[in-house]
Amino acid sequence: MTWQTSSHRSTPMVAARSVGRSVLRSEDPRLLSGGGRYLADLSLPRELHAALLRSNEAHSRLLAVDVSEAQALPGVHLVWTGADVATFCQGIEGALAVDGCIATVMPLLARDTLHYVGEPIALVVADSRAIAEDAMELISVTTEPLPPVTDPNAALEAGSPLANEQLAGNVGLRGGASFGPVDECFAVAHRVVEETYHTGRLSPTPMETRGVIASYDWASQELKLWTSTQMPHLIRYFVTAYLGIQENLVEVLTPDTGGGFGQKAHLFVEELLMPLASRELNRPVKWVEDRRENLMVAGQAHEQFITIALALDSDNHITAMRTRALGDGGAFHQPPWSMAVEPWCAAAVTPQGVYNVKTLEYTYEAAATNKAPVGAYRGVGYMAGTYAREAIIDEAARAVGMSPFDFRRLNVVKQLPWVNGQGVTYDEGSWLESIDRLEQMVGYEEFRERQLAARAEGRYLGLGISVFVESTGESTAMGKAHGLPDVYHDTATVRMDPNGTVTVTLGLTTQGQGNRTTAAQVAADMMGVRPEDVTVIAGDSTRHTYGSGTVASRGAIIAAGAIGRAAGPLRDKLLAVAANMLEISTDDIELADGRASVRGDSEASVSIADVATSVYFDDSVWPEGFDPGLEATFAYDAGRPMFSNGAQAALVEVDPFTGFVTVDTMYVIEDCGTVINPGIVDGQIRGGAVQGIGAALFEQLLYDDAGQLTTTTLMDYHLPTADVIPVFKIEHLQTPSSHTWNGAKGMGESAMIAAPAAVLNAVNDAIAPFGAILRDIPITPEDVLRAIGQVTD
Amino acid sequence: MIAMPSHTATVAMEVNDTTVAAAVETRTSLAEFLRVQAGLTGTKLGCEHGVCGACTVLVDDEPTRGCLVFAAQVDGKKVRTVEGLADGRALNRLQQAFHENFGLQCGFCTGGILMSMTSLMEKEPNPSREQIVEWLSGHLCRCTGYETIINAVLAAVAGGEDLR
Repeated sequence: MTWQTSSHRSTPMVAARSVGRSVLRSEDPRLLSGGGRYLADLSLPRELHAALLRSNEAHSRLLAVDVSEAQALPGVHLVWTGADVATFCQGIEGALAVDGCIATVMPLLARDTLHYVGEPIALVVADSRAIAEDAMELISVTTEPLPPVTDPNAALEAGSPLANEQLAGNVGLRGGASFGPVDECFAVAHRVVEETYHTGRLSPTPMETRGVIASYDWASQELKLWTSTQMPHLIRYFVTAYLGIQENLVEVLTPDTGGGFGQKAHLFVEELLMPLASRELNRPVKWVEDRRENLMVAGQAHEQFITIALALDSDNHITAMRTRALGDGGAFHQPPWSMAVEPWCAAAVTPQGVYNVKTLEYTYEAAATNKAPVGAYRGVGYMAGTYAREAIIDEAARAVGMSPFDFRRLNVVKQLPWVNGQGVTYDEGSWLESIDRLEQMVGYEEFRERQLAARAEGRYLGLGISVFVESTGESTAMGKAHGLPDVYHDTATVRMDPNGTVTVTLGLTTQGQGNRTTAAQVAADMMGVRPEDVTVIAGDSTRHTYGSGTVASRGAIIAAGAIGRAAGPLRDKLLAVAANMLEISTDDIELADGRASVRGDSEASVSIADVATSVYFDDSVWPEGFDPGLEATFAYDAGRPMFSNGAQAALVEVDPFTGFVTVDTMYVIEDCGTVINPGIVDGQIRGGAVQGIGAALFEQLLYDDAGQLTTTTLMDYHLPTADVIPVFKIEHLQTPSSHTWNGAKGMGESAMIAAPAAVLNAVNDAIAPFGAILRDIPITPEDVLRAIGQVTD
Repeated sequence: MIAMPSHTATVAMEVNDTTVAAAVETRTSLAEFLRVQAGLTGTKLGCEHGVCGACTVLVDDEPTRGCLVFAAQVDGKKVRTVEGLADGRALNRLQQAFHENFGLQCGFCTGGILMSMTSLMEKEPNPSREQIVEWLSGHLCRCTGYETIINAVLAAVAGGEDLR
């Protein structure tokens, strides 16, 4: 496979000074003193407040919506139903640009049919949120029930009722591919291992819910849209496209954001409804989601049924694999990721993981159901795919009587670069080393002795491992490598001021990752100054730089790439002027620690602040034809797919009387190339792994057979708390990427990707003496007790 | 047809040593009063069910869920919020320990956690790790995985008895 090479896909090389250090976060003092300004904290003069009446039925004909009493309530300014907003916008189209994805159009407010609990029926705008909610109680909705479709497997059977008339056969996605002689390998296999695994339906649950404020001004025709989003530029593009407002008249602003995790990387109907209402009323309109709405409708995630078959030869090598991924898609595609991204990514993107299996086939399907639409959540597709693969690798190891480390070592790719069966090149990594290192870290042999001793006391310890490789820094090249024709690029502006401080403007937003700090470290090294001399504006407004979104572990790579490119010409100018000031060749000057110094001569230097001042104010030291601008904007897109890798082990104890699983220790080996800021990177690991533990043991959105969501508060949807977290032992292997100047690769999702399989495998190791095995998550105490025969019907 | 509430009450409380008085609808929660009437938005609403703990403030020194208490119930009482923690224009020792230990990421849950930990350290100047975990378990943080928060509180505890 050849790669298009463009100048926006390479960056200059400089030595790291602040990169690699746990620089304290510049974000913290403001957030620690209550000074954060999140969406709900913003108020505009004359603002009105919106609330949405949502369906409490999963599937019904919508016969009538009577809003007359609500409209008459004092303090109510506007009540709209589906018919009212259809005149402005027919709905938002969703589909992923992969083979076999069938698009849907989601109305902004329901028209003839209700497709899921939580689907918006009416918008109310009033003087206060409380009055808007009072008015909602006065809306009368008349419906006629339709059969709810709640089981994705049954949904695909012939004769199933339709969840959404736009999707024939309830198929939102169906496709697949085959590489090499798969049937032949299975026909001659010494052993075939095949199982089906289910990952539960999750809510990303950022602590800050979604929210939108729209302010349209008829005189200037300008729309300002504040939204708690990970992708403001895409939102602006959609808003202009769907509402017919010129792009230069729309500014999308992103205030402090209280977590995103992929949930806030979608276009939601509220981001179109509030601008419409503001334009209608000529007043700002504010909508802040409540937690019930967040759990009901804000991008549910991760639920899949994945069936994997491995063909083994007599030496226990995996000769071929088959993967079938089925996603429970909900009723519509939520743009841009849609119900397709989970099963497509799980099946089609690195289905073989780190294992040397070039003969494989996969199929992916998304079934429409009468549930809320699914979307992206940290480790989208990767978590479920890695979960199922690492679970069956353990089952295969057990079947052939090998240790989970030895079986993985036997089958792991040992020589990189490696081209997989689909033609994707993996440039570098520490795949084998991560398995070896993890085994040493956990002290495997010693653990087995401890495990036996514990069993003699009636205690059940288990160790489970999970090895992953992950595409990071979502780029055009990454998409094309996997068959997704999306184009990505981001710009950064770097400006040095006359006194030598630096302002960086990114297209990337931040939801808590500390991007402002890591970007400042990157810029500081490029410009030879300290991180505290750099201010980073991270995607606050679409007025400035462009970004493809803070998604898919892009932050470190995009920051390094775009800042690196924009800072390059500024460095050249500083060097040229410093050379004149020091009367020496530019080749002999180094920019570091706030000074332009002559290499090998510690006495001969000038401060970078003085050089900057000269660039602005002293033309006597300018070279011939010098352009004094110390500001540059450049685009960046990673030129090749970049993969991080690693391995995790979970040490658990299962209580055979209560069924409760305690995760005692998480061992983490992470290789994301150069670590820009260990404090921040380790924070991503711990936070991601705890989300993975939540997925493995606690969290699940549950629908009953009528399609009613039964987990609508945080008392029912159980997030991990401080009393259930493990001890963390984290080690970094650093295999730098040769395609970013500082060697960094992405890692925001990796711990979430790896942890659930490690926990499942550990539980299965613990309950093996009972002859029991579990394959579905979350693993509840009841599941454990049933598996080990303590509870029977 | 449900009855629409129209009752108002005049509520006065001392918030971070400043008296705040306002006539509000009786259904106004303490958290909403602090955010709107007192203009102190550091108190966050994460669930409005008393589960997540982001709205935790100290009412007469006791940790209290701002979303589960009506403002009128706090009439005449003393309230402390995250905005009152700093020592003049410097972070206090607990805040500084969160900074130095990477004890926060998005910051949305942080204010409530700081208030609970302040109360813990006032009641028990030398809390054990287990006590910290128990108190912290009343709060949800989705970003950090909690370990750095526990480490931050331990570091603050190790720094002496007076939080300032």
